[in-house]
Amino acid sequence: MHLSLWVPINSVNLRNTLSGLRGAVTVGMIKSDVPGTQEWLDERRRQGDLPLPTSSNPALSLKLCDPRQGPAPFQAVVVLIQPGTGLVLRPPPSCLFPPDPAPSPPAEQIRVKPDKTGVVTDGVKHSMNPFCEIAVEEAVRLKEKKLVKEVIAVSCGPAQCQETIRTALAMGADRGIHVEVPPAEAERLGPLQVAQVLAKLAEKEKVDLVLLGKQAIDDDCNQTGQMTAGFLDWPQGTFASQVTLEGDKLKVEREIDGGLETLRLKLPAVVTTDLRLNEPRYATLPNIMKAKKKKIEVIKPGDLGVDLTSKLSVISVEDPPQRTAGVKVETTEDLVAKLKEIGRI
Amino acid sequence: MALSLGWKAPRNGCGLLLQAMRSSGLLLFPCGRCPWRGAGSFLDPEIKAFLEENTEITSSGSLTPEIQLRLLTPRCKFWWERADLWPHSDPYWAIYWPGGQALSRYLLDNPDVVRGKSVLDLGSGCGATAIAAKMSGASRILANDIDPIAGMAITLNCELNRLNPFPILIQNILNLEQDKWDLVVLGDMFYDENLADSLHQWLKKCFWTYRTRVLIGDPGRPQFSGHSIQHHLHKVVEYSLLEPTRQENSGLTTSTVWDFQP
Repeated sequence: MHLSLWVPINSVNLRNTLSGLRGAVTVGMIKSDVPGTQEWLDERRRQGDLPLPTSSNPALSLKLCDPRQGPAPFQAVVVLIQPGTGLVLRPPPSCLFPPDPAPSPPAEQIRVKPDKTGVVTDGVKHSMNPFCEIAVEEAVRLKEKKLVKEVIAVSCGPAQCQETIRTALAMGADRGIHVEVPPAEAERLGPLQVAQVLAKLAEKEKVDLVLLGKQAIDDDCNQTGQMTAGFLDWPQGTFASQVTLEGDKLKVEREIDGGLETLRLKLPAVVTTDLRLNEPRYATLPNIMKAKKKKIEVIKPGDLGVDLTSKLSVISVEDPPQRTAGVKVETTEDLVAKLKEIGRI
Repeated sequence: MALSLGWKAPRNGCGLLLQAMRSSGLLLFPCGRCPWRGAGSFLDPEIKAFLEENTEITSSGSLTPEIQLRLLTPRCKFWWERADLWPHSDPYWAIYWPGGQALSRYLLDNPDVVRGKSVLDLGSGCGATAIAAKMSGASRILANDIDPIAGMAITLNCELNRLNPFPILIQNILNLEQDKWDLVVLGDMFYDENLADSLHQWLKKCFWTYRTRVLIGDPGRPQFSGHSIQHHLHKVVEYSLLEPTRQENSGLTTSTVWDFQP
């Protein structure tokens, strides 16, 4: 299924985005070198839309898309399968980040169920979401550098999540938490519910960092990380292509439409990983066996006090329309005549 | 899983061994009078070659440098290779688990515990603890593991340490009738809750029926520390793990020997 979305980036949207950010994020100095941005920001400050830079409230100078540029095309493949999950680290600091069992790309042909309520998942091999693999890898690297004490892998969903958690354990996570959700409910699990679970877990386990993949490749929602940060009221660095720990702060380089943006976040924080952050390791044989001796705790969402009811309902899931054969015409007149013929003009 | 290698039964075979043969769980063990040299030549040559090619003889980095073992090390191909390319079942025997290390160290340091006694090594893996028992003078040893490749590895490891190979039972011993043992040792076997439950029941029965001494080696795995068996354990000794073992088993720094007394 293909959905083409045109997302116009203009000054109105930017203003709303910034004011939205102001309340939720504790953000340090950010570099900006997109021409025209500084002037735009100064104008916003004069008008009172942005807080004035003070010693305790550093300047919010963001590297933004040039408002004068055209709209950014955005394509999404919408498939609703398994939700994302989280991975947690123990202080100092700890991080939580989820291995997401998404259906294995791209060798499997995804088929829509006859009743159009979703896609067929029976017999489809599930593996860890690639962005989650990157998150696991980053957490393990932080631990190997001795910057982090413990890495906990978390997944939300039915029993097969445990296999994905085992893979994370084999990559180097220390222990796992499986938030068990029955298969029927798991189908309706969305980013909001998973974010609630992760937020509660992050508080319960007293972690310092939550690492997630930026999005699941089955639904491409790209919401869980952001919502988790919102629930926890923690700063977030999304689409991270580089993560560096600097004392009690985290420097995150983000991939954004205009290029790269560098943030410094106070811990605890939420980071979502993008493709260029690292290349995940293979789980090797000795580590797979060692993973079998590591602990996976199984808990229920109710234990965390989370209600998984969704306010969304799927109306229909359909295949994209079949491409029909095109027609070649010789002249512009022919083209106009043809278009008139089929009622397009 | 069973493996027939055409060994001769010892004339004084113990009840369990004969029983196992009868129930065709099968059993491989050498004639008691065979010299240790060449014991490995009784094994399937292809698998033996595979084992020799894909493991390294090592004795460093563990609590028992006196024992040589064929293990997976960073110099082996399958340390780095994709796991799904390994053609056999998971080679638990290719790792010298911290629980087993503590037990082996204790037996080597305290030979009185096993001298002249009959010893069962449950979940033998690489066979290190059984080898330690043999080195300390145990009179009768049975190494038990459900993986036949482990059985072969144990035979090769005996050869490495210049020991006459002892009997090896390739069957799930928890399903068989219990035999009398003076000592049962279990190295790093309590990593799975269901397995821990089964072992706990089996060991209780063993203790109450035959007054068997049970020693458990464990590095503090959460599945063990949180198990009800803890109520019946007395700490014997705790060893600090060497750096290579610590690195390979993140979060584990020591390994303890426990005496089971229900």
